[in-house]
Amino acid sequence: MRKVLRALLIIHTAILATACGTKTSGAGDDSVFKVALLTPGPISDQAWNSSAYRGLERIRDSLGAEISHIQTKTPAEFEENFRQYGAKGFDLVIGHGFEFQDAAQRVGPEYPNTVYVTTGGTGTGNNIAALSFAFDEPSYLAGIAAATVSQSGIMAVLGGTELPPVKASFAAFEAGAQSVRPDIKVLTAFIGNWDDAAAGKEQALALLSRRADVIFQNADAAGLGAFQAVRENGKSFVIGANADQNAVAPEVTLGSVVIDLPHAFLLVAREVQEGSFRPRVITYDTKSDVVRWVPNPGLTVIRPHVQAHIESLRAQFVDGSFKLPTAATP
Amino acid sequence: MIEFGVLLLPFLEASLRTATPLGFAALGELVTERAGVINLGLEGAIIAGCFGALAGAGLGGPYAGVLAGIAAGAAVAMVFAVFVLALRADQIIAGTAMTLLALGITGTLYRLVYGAGGAALDTPTLAPWALPGLSSLPGLGPVLFTQPLPTYVLYLLVPALLWWMHRTGAGLALRAIGEHRAAAEAAGVRSQRSRAAAIIFGGAMGGLSGATLVLAQVGTFNEGMSAGRGFIAIAIVVLGRWSVLGTALAALVFGAAFALQYLFQAMDWALPYQLFLAFPYVLTLVLLALLRGRAAAPLELGRQD
Repeated sequence: MRKVLRALLIIHTAILATACGTKTSGAGDDSVFKVALLTPGPISDQAWNSSAYRGLERIRDSLGAEISHIQTKTPAEFEENFRQYGAKGFDLVIGHGFEFQDAAQRVGPEYPNTVYVTTGGTGTGNNIAALSFAFDEPSYLAGIAAATVSQSGIMAVLGGTELPPVKASFAAFEAGAQSVRPDIKVLTAFIGNWDDAAAGKEQALALLSRRADVIFQNADAAGLGAFQAVRENGKSFVIGANADQNAVAPEVTLGSVVIDLPHAFLLVAREVQEGSFRPRVITYDTKSDVVRWVPNPGLTVIRPHVQAHIESLRAQFVDGSFKLPTAATP
Repeated sequence: MIEFGVLLLPFLEASLRTATPLGFAALGELVTERAGVINLGLEGAIIAGCFGALAGAGLGGPYAGVLAGIAAGAAVAMVFAVFVLALRADQIIAGTAMTLLALGITGTLYRLVYGAGGAALDTPTLAPWALPGLSSLPGLGPVLFTQPLPTYVLYLLVPALLWWMHRTGAGLALRAIGEHRAAAEAAGVRSQRSRAAAIIFGGAMGGLSGATLVLAQVGTFNEGMSAGRGFIAIAIVVLGRWSVLGTALAALVFGAAFALQYLFQAMDWALPYQLFLAFPYVLTLVLLALLRGRAAAPLELGRQD
């Protein structure tokens, strides 16, 4: 019995150490605007999660909010953490990903004074909103740029897991590529998680061995492996996703399909702080300049007439004269 | 017809690369288990090795990184040894706790040292060495002998362990402890000391596994990048029937299964990708079922004092 107790003590210590990343300076003062962020992965991934954390920091710096962040691991924790923040009287809780929407639906009604926002998804409620990013629009533009750079006529998309927004983005990338080069082939692969950078590298190498010479990766921390593979290969290009990843491996990165999460987060947080928040699906597209294709300024491989074509399409996204056939991004 | 010849070489290279970190971790765990201790903290030793390698390489270059990775893995195992041997805690629970602890601590340290921006891809890495002569052998020469340092260490580790375990007194003592500790002690073996050494060796190999991931493969660290390799390594030991050669072979089989999975996904076959991702694990289950037969586990394995 004593041994079991001792062992449980070890586990307890271990869990405490695991939860160290949490920064909550406690509830208490109700007048302070309090904002929390739940990320599905580590905020050091230089992509989806680190960009969200920068958004949280911007809310702190611009709106004087008290902030808290938790990295969740399993869906079971989504609800628990949503509930915790509701009980602590947070004003805004952001679940960073499509996968948080069910938990928001269940917990939202229990804490009517807290606004729950999920990035991705379509679920809304009295105090629940979803941020929807037209990530497919810049993905389409990236596809055009990539197709004109590819020598082999084979490209690849590499994802963490097949979340609907990732799938939509990959489909748009392929459509964009085929709009300028109908015979181009796009291979698809998924790593199965968002952390295993070694697996990301191996999967990228396998795609390169199939003669793919542009890889559009959307795998967060695991995607860093794809950058490494392409850099070692030296004859191919990689495209970043979610954050501006052009600096990760500047000599081989064609560009990044960026979501300006700090900007999007600040907009919704300001609404909540001012009391003008309305529950809805808030769509951020090319027009709101939250999503954009950012070519790597250090590379000159995208030819000027291609740049011009991309720029004109971007303008058409903005004025609404061009819409993607698969415009509904979940 | 798809160009299978062209893909064979990349496949073999990928198999060996994927098998190397698994091989280190599994052979280390094998030694620990042969002493009758199951260390589920192996995953923790690997992630500690990853972080140690990153920090060491940043300070003193890639070789310092390898040493730091080994030391970090050994340190995690030392804590486990204290709990299991000195405090007599349950091995399963203590091991699980060490894995959780190491995953948490490395993540926290990483953010403290490198900030939320991460370490990027600028860690100095171990370049492959082509062994003169051997690397130009026809066929497998270039695959086997144009590798970074850790792979060659692994080549040497297998025969060295085989010799040590079966041809030395210390190896015999270790196996005796794992099979019948009381008898071994009656014969004058100092079992606590041997077990502590076996646990620390296992952790050091876990650390080397992590260092290989960071310095010979990815070139950076990210939180949770061990991604379950410690648990796969424990399964590899079972699959290898607790023998040195069996474990090395099982690691290779696993490496090949993963490499095949990567290649399958790159084939543009219209099949759900989950099928390919499950392939290595399905293969394990099938192999385990086929290899059922005489029990090979050390009799003292996991037994509490």
